[in-house]
Amino acid sequence: MTDTVPNAANVEALREKIRAVFNEMWAEDHDTPPPPLSADTVLLETGFDSMGFAVFVARLDDDLGYDPFSDSDEAYYPSTFGEFVDFYQKAASH
Amino acid sequence: MALRNRVAGLGLDDDAALVRHPAGLLRLADAGPATDLARDSVVAVCCYQPARFIAELLGLDGQVAGLLLLAPALPPAAVAAMMTQAGASVLRTDRDDLADVDLQPPTPQGPGKAGLSRGGETTWLMTTSGTTGIPKIVRHNLASLTRSVRPAKAPLPRWGLVYEPSRFAGLQVVLQALIGGGELIAPDPSGDIGERLRYLAANGCTHLSATPTLWRKLLMLPEAALLAPQQVTLGGEIADAGILRALTARYPAARVTHIYASTEAGVGFSVKDGLPGMPASYLRDGVGGVRLRVADGELWIKPPGDDSSRRAAHISVDDEGYLRTGDLVREDSGRLFFVGRDSSTINIGGTKVHPEAVEAIVNAHPMVAACQVSSRPNPLVGSLLTLAVAPHDADMDAALFKQSVKDWCRERLPREAQPATIKMVGSITETAAGKVSRAG
Repeated sequence: MTDTVPNAANVEALREKIRAVFNEMWAEDHDTPPPPLSADTVLLETGFDSMGFAVFVARLDDDLGYDPFSDSDEAYYPSTFGEFVDFYQKAASH
Repeated sequence: MALRNRVAGLGLDDDAALVRHPAGLLRLADAGPATDLARDSVVAVCCYQPARFIAELLGLDGQVAGLLLLAPALPPAAVAAMMTQAGASVLRTDRDDLADVDLQPPTPQGPGKAGLSRGGETTWLMTTSGTTGIPKIVRHNLASLTRSVRPAKAPLPRWGLVYEPSRFAGLQVVLQALIGGGELIAPDPSGDIGERLRYLAANGCTHLSATPTLWRKLLMLPEAALLAPQQVTLGGEIADAGILRALTARYPAARVTHIYASTEAGVGFSVKDGLPGMPASYLRDGVGGVRLRVADGELWIKPPGDDSSRRAAHISVDDEGYLRTGDLVREDSGRLFFVGRDSSTINIGGTKVHPEAVEAIVNAHPMVAACQVSSRPNPLVGSLLTLAVAPHDADMDAALFKQSVKDWCRERLPREAQPATIKMVGSITETAAGKVSRAG
């Protein structure tokens, strides 16, 4: 395995970290359990609006220490949870 | 010339649709002149459905002295207060909850009427946006509002309406579609953005205008793939390189334009090269008749003609008629880039928030000793608020305290004005003048 191939355990840890922040934010605003996030879940269809999404990215920046939306030169807006995790994974490995 | 006459002057067929909406079509014949009102009346229009709102504009412009355009989300008490302020005695609405709004008898010398035109031209009274400030009334007329409207070329555009049409940006879309020629596609505003996009796509929307925040959201939805716009317009916030590039990549056939507009100054212009900021040559040559200058890093603009009666009363103006915008700019490599607002307001997803007003709300929390609101850049909505807050009781449990402050804010502030991140601190640094420091 080379450095450029993401380590499966690291990807899993990142996915769980992102999921945890999502669930934490969900719990602050809802009394119901958070929706399950699978790779093809469209994040903006989980009840997140633009503001919710923006706060999510800000909290992840505080927790992970980076924000791929601001750091990357690439103009990319991920739609699903799977694409979102990949986007963060790619930024982490750079 | 009144709005109705300008639309009729396009020479459309009688049955041509002006607005396509889920309940049907709005044609010119459906919106006859309102002849039942006194010519000197000021009429408030507060409609939930855009098609109804537009029908009222077509019927009323040229028939009455003033039109007060109110956002449909305005609470009844605020509707009544704005009407009193404007001297409005008639309310046109499709809202059920406004039946009890007390209509004042016409006041010939009411504060809002003093500046109405005498020549039979209707004054359009618009309200500034902003969630924590009290809306201010800004005077316009149809000529000033349609200065940037251009006649459309065939095939005629189908403009999608995702903005609220009583606001400056939404009204620009409405007037461009009505007077420039074309059709307006108005989805039901109660639908979520996915539903509205499906409606726009199903009805052949070719032109769409939205804030950068909404465009970013749209690009993250599967429905974005249904759209095939020829014109993509951004406004209301800084259009950064990322969103401009993403839109160009997603919609290669579209022309990508961003608009700079100030409701308060009653002026706007567009930048059509698809790049962030604007050419620095605008400082020398102006743009669309608008003159620009930069003083202490802040943009000042001078509208064409004498617009002194139209700008909001709180706007600063210099000796030569340039108006202060509150927008900070930086010049780099022949371009002027927007870098944010002066410290008095923060633009969050297109909504201007006053940090002092948020601090005042937080300070009213019984457990709060002091607080400080500042902004942090955000790639999705431009900026977010961060709150540093000190409790009276330093031994307070941080998690409980923060949740209590968060709930307090949620009950009292609109979404954009709620701090995104809250930090409990021991004390707040104040400046020599006793004001909360907002540096950084």
